[in-house]
Amino acid sequence: MIRTFRESSILWGRLMRKMVRVKLLLFFALFQPLLFLLLFSQVFDRLDQLPGFAYDSYLQFLVPSIIALTALNSAFQSGIGMVTDIEDGLLDKFLIAPIRRSSILLGKVMADATRMALQALIIVGVSLIMGARFETGVLGVLMMIVLAACFGIAWAGLSNVIALRTGNGELTMMIGILITFPVLFLSTSFMPSALLPSWLDIVATFNPITYIVEAVRALVNTGWDWNAIGKAFGVTAGLAVVTFTAATAAFRKVIS
Amino acid sequence: MPLIEVSNLVKVYPGGIRAVDDITFTVDRGEVFGFLGPNGAGKTTTIRILVTLLAPTSGTAVVDGIDVTVAPEEVRKRVGYAAQFIGVDDDLTARENLVLQGRLHGLSKTEARRRGDDLLEILQLTAAADRRAGTFSGGMKRRLDLGQALSHDPELLFLDEPTIGLDPPTRRALWVYLRELNARGVTIFLTTQYLEEADALAGRLAIIDEGVIVIEGTPQALKDDLGGDAITVTLAPGDGSQVERVAELIGQYSDAGAARTYDGAVRVFTRDAASRLADVVRTLDSAGIHVARLEVSEPTLDDVFLRHTGGKMRVEEVKPRSRMMFTRKPR
Ligand SMILES: Nc1ncnc2c1ncn2[C@@H]1O[C@H](COP(=O)(O)OP(=O)(O)O)[C@@H](O)[C@H]1O
Ligand SMILES: [Mg+2]
Repeated sequence: MIRTFRESSILWGRLMRKMVRVKLLLFFALFQPLLFLLLFSQVFDRLDQLPGFAYDSYLQFLVPSIIALTALNSAFQSGIGMVTDIEDGLLDKFLIAPIRRSSILLGKVMADATRMALQALIIVGVSLIMGARFETGVLGVLMMIVLAACFGIAWAGLSNVIALRTGNGELTMMIGILITFPVLFLSTSFMPSALLPSWLDIVATFNPITYIVEAVRALVNTGWDWNAIGKAFGVTAGLAVVTFTAATAAFRKVIS
Repeated sequence: MPLIEVSNLVKVYPGGIRAVDDITFTVDRGEVFGFLGPNGAGKTTTIRILVTLLAPTSGTAVVDGIDVTVAPEEVRKRVGYAAQFIGVDDDLTARENLVLQGRLHGLSKTEARRRGDDLLEILQLTAAADRRAGTFSGGMKRRLDLGQALSHDPELLFLDEPTIGLDPPTRRALWVYLRELNARGVTIFLTTQYLEEADALAGRLAIIDEGVIVIEGTPQALKDDLGGDAITVTLAPGDGSQVERVAELIGQYSDAGAARTYDGAVRVFTRDAASRLADVVRTLDSAGIHVARLEVSEPTLDDVFLRHTGGKMRVEEVKPRSRMMFTRKPR
């Protein structure tokens, strides 16, 4: 236990150092969400006048979706980083060291989570500047960040499966983009459930992102909705079990 | 007890490629053991099994009394490994890369730093210690990679084509350092495609081709095995097309199989070069062949290599005395 913590902290430290030094590693996943935040909050500004739109402004409604989108992007960055480390012979360097293989994965998960939390915090900051308000205050923001990081980690499992199976960073990125868009739009990310066509509303209930977005949306706009938060963590945990089982299997195959 | 003991080792990759096909050899403590072979011979596969990165299909590999498949972690503690492809983190500095490896090998922060400083000094990277490895030249990266393999002061070092891509002065400097390491008691297992390198470093070597060890011994013994000296006939520029005919003519003077043909040259090995030289000259002269150069020399490892790796196929590509070069396969 202590040993695993020591080993994974060392590997976490490496990834943190890289992120601090190569700022792109921190900002890469943020560009597109920030662009969406700026554009969508303007383009759809008048949506709040629609009957059935129960939020103060489209910005208030949008911020949680942007946080979720950032987590999705950042998750795909994780898989790409895995391929890069394999290609650069760094994974071999870790495998040849007398450390547990699980520490290698844990160190990566810890670094991913840290990055995702920082990115969520940046989105919160930009939203504040743009005039968004956070109903649940600092504690609520903390909860959002934890949710975003957990969900991002679960999704990173998927990105690593794709990365390890294809062994190709660019392909992983392309598949990531290909998956992210439908997943994002087939949810309540950009339109409230009440305003979605009924088929889409049904599809959205099977989309894990809907639950994250709804929980964060409540934290931003109305208050602590423990039911929504519980569901969000439940869905995230379920997703993580599936993606991490597959990712661990793919990892084993690559290193054997 | 030998430090490395490999018995009947076989590796079949998924898809059926028999990369290593029943090899057996030992390496003693304190040796520099050269593993020589062309591209695709199975060198990297063997090394990766020995450093626990790859599971063998059958057979056993024992390092320092430990079976690599039974207690891989114990093996990892004891060995250093510099892979064929350099593995340094370009975003970290040289010092950070070294400290990271030291830490992963169980050193405390202070120990890892101290060891890192020592290695930077030894590998002459102190001036570049705090520069990002991404800015390094190929030679500097190689040295850093070697430093990483040494970060925990292992008693056994595996080097997979350590000088590939290095310019000759850098290569020679690395040789000097490897000899020093060996003098301090580090056992070195080294693969190479450069015969010159095996000759310069290895006390004993094995030649591997297509997954099979074709011969094993000291460089001198392998050369002696060719039967004495080499007589090389280099034809006049216009007569290059005559090599086959010349080979036929002077093949009778060889004490080790047929004459070898190269691009514009023919070579025979003989135990009595002095008197054979006269025979060769006479024979060629009466056949009306123009000779540009005639040379008597010790056989090189090139000759050994060609003799034992079904050289027929590759001979034409190689000029006498030139180093054999193989292109690097992309991973
Ligand atoms: N991961 C792999 N999967 C399938 N075949 C492989 C793999 N790695 C190497 N090989 C094949 O095994 C043989 C030996 O390769 P290798 O050990 O890398 O040779 P060397 O290091 O001597 O150049 C080659 O034919 C190579 O193509
Ligand atoms: Mg190789």
